[in-house]
Amino acid sequence: MADNYVVEMLNITKVFPGIVANDNITLQLKRGEIHALLGENGAGKSTLMSVLFGLYQPEQGEIRIDGKRVEIRDPNDANTLHIGMVHQHFKLVECFTVLDNIILGVEPNKLGFLQKKEARKKVVALSEKYGLLVDPDALVEDITVGMQQRTEILKMLYRDNEILIFDEPTAVLTPQEIHELMQIMKSLAAEGKSILFITHKLNEIMEVCDRCSVLRKGKYIGTVDIAGTSKEELSRMMVGRDVKFAVDKAPAQPKETVLKVSGLTVPSKLHHNNAVKDVSFEVRRGEIVCIAGIDGNGQTEFVYALSGLEKASAGKIELCGRDISRSTIRQRAEAGMSHIPEDRHKHGLVLDFPLEDNLVLQRYMDPRFQKGGFIQREPIRAYAEDLIGRFDIRSGQGPVTPVRSMSGGNQQKAIIAREIDLNADLLIAVQPTRGLDVGAIEYIHSQIVGQRDLGKAVLLVSLELDEVMNLSDRILVMYEGEIVGELDPKTTTVEELGLYMAGAKRNKGKEASAS
Amino acid sequence: MKKDTARTLWNDGTKTVVASLLSILMGVIFGGVLLFVVALCLKMPLSSAWEGFRIVLGGVFNTGRNYDAGSALTFGINARLIGDMLFRATPLIMTGLSVALAYKTGLFNIGAPGQYLMGTAMSIIVALAIDTSVVPAFLVWILAFLAAIAAGALWGCIPGLFKAYLNVNEVITSIMTNWIAANLVTLLFDGSRFINNVDFGKTGYTLKTATNGVATAKLGLDFGGGNANAGFLIAIVFAAAAYIVINKTTFGYELRACGSNKNAARYAGMNEKRNIVLSMAIAGGLSAAGAALYFLQGDVEFYWHTSMALPATGFNGIPVALLASCSPIGCIFSGMFMAYLTISGSQLSTFTAYNEYIANIIIAVIVYLSAFTLFFKGLMSAKKKTITVKSEDAKSKAGEEMKRK
Ligand SMILES: Nc1ncnc2c1ncn2[C@@H]1O[C@H](COP(=O)(O)OP(=O)(O)OP(=O)(O)O)[C@@H](O)[C@H]1O
Ligand SMILES: [Mg+2]
Repeated sequence: MADNYVVEMLNITKVFPGIVANDNITLQLKRGEIHALLGENGAGKSTLMSVLFGLYQPEQGEIRIDGKRVEIRDPNDANTLHIGMVHQHFKLVECFTVLDNIILGVEPNKLGFLQKKEARKKVVALSEKYGLLVDPDALVEDITVGMQQRTEILKMLYRDNEILIFDEPTAVLTPQEIHELMQIMKSLAAEGKSILFITHKLNEIMEVCDRCSVLRKGKYIGTVDIAGTSKEELSRMMVGRDVKFAVDKAPAQPKETVLKVSGLTVPSKLHHNNAVKDVSFEVRRGEIVCIAGIDGNGQTEFVYALSGLEKASAGKIELCGRDISRSTIRQRAEAGMSHIPEDRHKHGLVLDFPLEDNLVLQRYMDPRFQKGGFIQREPIRAYAEDLIGRFDIRSGQGPVTPVRSMSGGNQQKAIIAREIDLNADLLIAVQPTRGLDVGAIEYIHSQIVGQRDLGKAVLLVSLELDEVMNLSDRILVMYEGEIVGELDPKTTTVEELGLYMAGAKRNKGKEASAS
Repeated sequence: MKKDTARTLWNDGTKTVVASLLSILMGVIFGGVLLFVVALCLKMPLSSAWEGFRIVLGGVFNTGRNYDAGSALTFGINARLIGDMLFRATPLIMTGLSVALAYKTGLFNIGAPGQYLMGTAMSIIVALAIDTSVVPAFLVWILAFLAAIAAGALWGCIPGLFKAYLNVNEVITSIMTNWIAANLVTLLFDGSRFINNVDFGKTGYTLKTATNGVATAKLGLDFGGGNANAGFLIAIVFAAAAYIVINKTTFGYELRACGSNKNAARYAGMNEKRNIVLSMAIAGGLSAAGAALYFLQGDVEFYWHTSMALPATGFNGIPVALLASCSPIGCIFSGMFMAYLTISGSQLSTFTAYNEYIANIIIAVIVYLSAFTLFFKGLMSAKKKTITVKSEDAKSKAGEEMKRK
């Protein structure tokens, strides 16, 4: 029954320089269903959704909405057709407030004068109804990635869209938030809205989706009913081989201390309180220490202070015995620190540079890559080729691909490759596998464990409970800027961890004795 | 498949050049229309509008009127005008480079006029102050050139420092430093011994540097009695150097990284504050060097009452850079184009009823539209798409037929 489908994308082909991102793909979305779109990094999911949202014009194929053929030339057309999209990389105006961003383009006005009050009422009502906690007056540049995400979702709900595209909405959310989002999605679907949902997390697909379409390297593999499938089958369809979900690793053998943080305090930009309060701990060679916590509890500010992006107001940081509290970012890097940043677009990459230039973002000064101040193209290219091969970074044109045009997951892989290959004594990894497909996660996890086994210290900051439990050797829980507990992943449970993260439990005494 | 997509999509460089040419064409057409409108308004015969249009197009290839043949306009190689074009292009290339380089670092150098003025004043003062009977003239020339660059660099530095350390927008500080320079320069010359008190009624001007024997070497470029000299070659060397610095050195890599994403540059350990200051200082130096190359020609006089007006050559660096899409090599050509138009303008007021003000407006319109390069580039990308669709269609049909066979 064709009239069952709200959206039909038939035989869509989209070509980019050097790559066919979508190769004759057909996708059909039923009314009121939650339809997952699954595929490896660079498989063409975002591209397909951007075609539906009017950002790209396909070279071939047609789109039907409610059975009628439509032309979607730009996002305004999409909006008219009640299609809304939360992008993988948010499209927010940094220097605007949350509220201004939500109403941008559909500002309520009387005779041309903004009527923000009404807008605020509607936004607050929506945010309460769906439990999407935001501060309407905070500037987007100051808020956490999680809150930016919620702003994007509110933006879509504010426009009363009927067909909702979520491009990896859960990559940046905490487990609790993901749980809430799943509930929201279910209730939206029950209200008759149709949802296209991109995610790399198979559990989420199993939990909320009705059907799932799988893409691989730009080609359509098939669509399955979730009721009759399993995580293993989905990942096999997607990667073409079996994927291990657990991390293989031997017990940690910690040696001498690499990082010693004492009494670190960092002021907050959002409120007058301190974001990080008197934090002390150590990370030793050969162990992976994870800072767990709900997003917005000071992890971001802590890492900024640690890496030198922001100033701490008190405390001391020692790296390999050297006091680096007042060192510049470059000095810290030279002292043996590498850093996979939380926000890949803000800090991690120069999007307008080609991939190869991004892969040497810190190392362009190495004698290997420059002679007398002149950049040596050939060694850089060879080095980039090497990393691209080892870390399976997929792109249209290899080393010279502009990073902006790469898929989100492959951008992330580029950063990880660069930072791991620095071979620093301390690797700070903030949400390292955010946006990666299951196959890539498997590989990156093994690389991080490999770093540990090479005798490096790894400080992991993650919101992902599975990752926290699987990868770390010690867990420090951060709550409201304080370390409220130290846990051993082998003896603790997810539930207990959750209690600490929610601030319901603490064992600070133990943490103090450990350091 | 791969090859075909590569062929259907033009590379970025080609696109830029075509877009620049398109916008120039637009500007010229619009200028032509304006000539006719003005002719209509002033009740001039339409034939004079046509003549005007030919002069604007012909520019340096205008050889005057042939009074033996009904005063018809004649065109051909005019060596003097070509030389003048190269001479006028020299400072424009330099201010264009100045704006382009700052732009690569994400800065808008609207301070070029001020930097240009500082360079003017320093080059003239040094060139006149040092007695060439004591110090050899070529050494004085070099000293004057370097002094100009230093003054310009200092002047560029100031907005850079404000931007880097106090986060004050460089446009605002640049506008202020522009006017400070304008007044400072008047102050410097007022009552000084560098004023032309020799020729009657010329006290508004400085002495020519040639009066002290300081003049840029001609190197045989003064063909046809034009003003071209080695300065033009120096400007080309600067353009090439700017290209190399921006694209081939670690310093340029840092500048571009800061301009493109300053957070990432900071994250990577680059000193983005230092880079901002340096970039502005270099930009200032380039503008000032342009001024020195112009005034050290020797035979140019400088109207030193600058407190009321900023030099157009400084501001024109902006369209020169935009027209070149901020490519240093492109600045050579866009600088020459701007000079070509300037010559056209002076020819227009010499040979037709259009006065110099109308000529200026027409030139300004052409320049304005010429800066639409980016716009045309975007348009071209959109257009390419439909072309790609067709070829893809054809290809897939061919493919299907192949399969059937
Ligand atoms: N604007 C663009 N220009 C050129 N190539 C592009 C562009 N957008 C995407 N691509 C290429 O198309 C391919 C598919 O990208 P897409 O973003 O759709 O992947 P994805 O399935 O969303 O992956 P991920 O899970 O990593 O987000 C990639 O190889 C990418 O390099
Ligand atoms: Mg994507």
